[in-house]
Amino acid sequence: MQLDKIRNFCIVAHIDHGKSTLADRLIEETGMLQKREMKAQVLDTLDLERERGITIKLNAVRMSYTAKDGETYELNLIDTPGHVDFTYEVSRSLAACEGAVLVVDASQGIQAQTLSNLFLAMDAGLEIIPILNKIDLPGAEPDRRAQEVADLLGVDPDGILRVSAKAGIGIGDLLEAVVERVPAPTGDPDGPLRALIYDSYYDKYRGAIPSVRVVDGVLKPKMQITFGSNDAVYEVAEVGYNQLRQVKADQLGPGEVGYVVASVRSVKETRAGDTVFDATNRAEEPLPGYQEVRSFVFAGIYPTDTTQYELLRDALEKLQLNDASLQYEPETSTALGFGFRCGFLGLLHMEIVQERLEREYDLDLVTTVPSVEYKVHLTDGTLTEIENPSLMPPAGVIAAVEEPYVKARIMAPKDYIGPLMTLGTERRGIYKNMTYLDQERVEFDFEFPLAEIILDFFDKMKTVSRGYASLDYEMLGYRESDLVRLDMLINGDPIDAFSVIIHKDKAYEWGRKIADKLKDLIPRQLFEVAIQAAIGQKVIARTTVKPLRKDVLAKCYGGDISRKRKLLEKQKEGKKRMKQVGAVEIPQEAFLAVLQVE
Amino acid sequence: MPYRHVYVHVPFCARRCAYCDFAIAVRPRVPVEEYLRALEGELTLRLGAAPTPERRPSVDTLYLGGGTPSRLGGAGAAAAVGLVGRWFRLADGAEVTLEVNPDDVTDEAVAAWRAGGINRVSLGGQTFDPAALAWMHRTHDAGQIERAVATLRAGGIDDLSLDLIFALPASVPRDWAADVARALALAPTHLSLYGLTVEPGTPLGRWAERGDVTEADEDRYAAEFLHAHDALTSAGFEHYEVSNFARPGHRARHNSAYWSGAPYLGLGPSAHGYDGAERRWNVSAYAAWVRAVAEGRDPVEGAEALDPAMRSAESVYLGLRTVDGLTLVDADVARTARWESEGWAERVGDRLRLTAPGWLRLDALAADLTVARSRS
Repeated sequence: MQLDKIRNFCIVAHIDHGKSTLADRLIEETGMLQKREMKAQVLDTLDLERERGITIKLNAVRMSYTAKDGETYELNLIDTPGHVDFTYEVSRSLAACEGAVLVVDASQGIQAQTLSNLFLAMDAGLEIIPILNKIDLPGAEPDRRAQEVADLLGVDPDGILRVSAKAGIGIGDLLEAVVERVPAPTGDPDGPLRALIYDSYYDKYRGAIPSVRVVDGVLKPKMQITFGSNDAVYEVAEVGYNQLRQVKADQLGPGEVGYVVASVRSVKETRAGDTVFDATNRAEEPLPGYQEVRSFVFAGIYPTDTTQYELLRDALEKLQLNDASLQYEPETSTALGFGFRCGFLGLLHMEIVQERLEREYDLDLVTTVPSVEYKVHLTDGTLTEIENPSLMPPAGVIAAVEEPYVKARIMAPKDYIGPLMTLGTERRGIYKNMTYLDQERVEFDFEFPLAEIILDFFDKMKTVSRGYASLDYEMLGYRESDLVRLDMLINGDPIDAFSVIIHKDKAYEWGRKIADKLKDLIPRQLFEVAIQAAIGQKVIARTTVKPLRKDVLAKCYGGDISRKRKLLEKQKEGKKRMKQVGAVEIPQEAFLAVLQVE
Repeated sequence: MPYRHVYVHVPFCARRCAYCDFAIAVRPRVPVEEYLRALEGELTLRLGAAPTPERRPSVDTLYLGGGTPSRLGGAGAAAAVGLVGRWFRLADGAEVTLEVNPDDVTDEAVAAWRAGGINRVSLGGQTFDPAALAWMHRTHDAGQIERAVATLRAGGIDDLSLDLIFALPASVPRDWAADVARALALAPTHLSLYGLTVEPGTPLGRWAERGDVTEADEDRYAAEFLHAHDALTSAGFEHYEVSNFARPGHRARHNSAYWSGAPYLGLGPSAHGYDGAERRWNVSAYAAWVRAVAEGRDPVEGAEALDPAMRSAESVYLGLRTVDGLTLVDADVARTARWESEGWAERVGDRLRLTAPGWLRLDALAADLTVARSRS
């Protein structure tokens, strides 16, 4: 295909603003499939994505479109993940495009996340085609929203396309705009191969299959290829492109988007952002922008039933084949036994992994309180990185602790300024700025310690704003904070799974709440159970579970020994489901409860 | 394994007591003939035709429990003993117990029981407090308990056990210490003390559900249990099982068989039996039992073969509930050392037995030890 007949573009939109419906409509309009063949939202392939209405794995669709100028163009629609956890992945798929369609809901207007992805697209030098979607809905305010978008992008409000993906209004105009306004790709067809990996997935028969955008050179079967991040060499078995299904091609040339099958062992070797080279004629420079996987949120994952450890290990191994951003290593907890410390891109990523483990592998799991990675400067001048709170060294040897901060953008109707400011302050947010987007909506800029927003910040924000506020954040870097390690002690023994690293000012309240929760959740036992929250040697909260003074049914059972035995067996089963720590039995719920501290 | 112990369930009661969830049949007129016919039927169905006297295996205990077996009357209860006697020979010195309600005790009935071979009576007193008796829906008054004891003694039955219930709700006014003293004054050979348990489906269960009564709290339960232990042991009784006290030589031999894991034959509706390998139980409704037998079917409702884990759980629980205790294994000691230091258990040679404070925690301790043993 000639370079000037190719258009690579993506769609930038907030969840629910109609990205998937719009993609469906474009595919339908270009005649690739009939309406009755359409399964709603064809781009999203994971069940989980469809359920949550969000895209996690990326896909691309090649469309063939004959424009008004009579020429036939190859349009590649490249999907982008729609969540804040996947910023790097978004940036890589944007790097495969020359243009972006910015979708704004004509009633809701611009949301925080749209803005973040828009800025990423603008940073990547993409041509932006703004459109207003859902113009046919009763609440639509296209004029007002068009002005908002125009102000943001510095364009003429009249030039903003008005579309209803659902009703099929304005789709033809949009396709024309893509052809006219998105620049054609450039690249050297005769140079050594350089192709950008923007996603990959694992096929159990064909290995890791990267999705690529060829920049220079040609990619075709029988070639020996290698990747920037490792030295392994693979022979290409097949190349092709997606047109709802994979279509084999003879080759992929500059500007083209497609897939490569080369029996690559795992997706760890085909990380988004990496470059595919010709192993026999390697280009000098890799494509820019590649980053190693970086986990921001960490948590211990343990099987409830200790005999499921091996199953969990196998499940994580399989999951990682398809998810290069999941990291894990074995970990032992005195309270929970054998499990894994896992690193995630963010909270959503953690939830997805947890849910897939439970759903697809039928595991029953306990997850510890998520944590971030701290940089701990010791008094002897050394630096250590800690992401498991129970491994935090004693206060005496710590000179300073740094924690990761994020820059957060919250957008909300102005009625919720008060509650959102309060929430921001509660979470140690540093208020930076507030701008009115229009007469109704404001944008706040905050800086937060990442640790303060990984637990339940998003839910809280939604609650205080009745669902209207949207959030986006990006990493800022590390800053020194007054942090302490808070341990929960049961009868004097620290329970590692309950340890947290927390700001000094919040430690007392947290300790008291956890102690109260545990008091409610730990059943009374034969001996008194002392629950303490402590920072180092200093106990900051304590409570006790009084011992049973009596646990017997001394009634007349006659010869009915079975009944009594069954009661005993029930009691015994109950005990077995609990984690025995010293002489104390702690129910599983207690470990979950710390995740839900109000 | 041959049976040395026979239990016969007699389900009839004049009225259901407020706390009772046993298989009983409330009958103003007791169908004695029908009952005895069915009892004979079950014996024939399960054991074959009655053997000749010299071929009858001998048993050490026979226990007529209920329900209210004394509702069979003098002749009826004696006839039931006689029926069992056609299949089993009562060994010399055999213990033959009848459960009796005070209002069924008359000179004539006692004479008939005595003549029929009954040599021990377990008398359902429960309390001497008139208000508490009425609250329990008992059919007798306090005076009848005392008169019944006198009548039984006069009739030659002086191996007497008395049942009392403790841990009544705080809202039921009754002086437990006074009840214990009054029971002691009657000089029984044996006492069974049961903690009141609220069971669903009983009148008491419904009262509790409605919030009309609240079960006694742990402190009250513990205090009454320990008071009885102190008062009765000071008076020369041996606290030989969590709920039972006996004068020396007067332990209930029949119940002790249950606790030691010996086989026993259970007859009558809802009766449980154990042949050394399998536990079985009969249908609990009286009418269903009569019908099954009349149609020539074994009235069994269910059975379970004991696997090693079940056997082990039973031996722990049964062992801990009596003063004989159980033989310690290595896996136990990590737990039981603490029990000893808490005063809940004591070592006698290689055996461990619970003390009265230990029995207050019997269920928890038994579960604890069962888990410890299953993990080792």
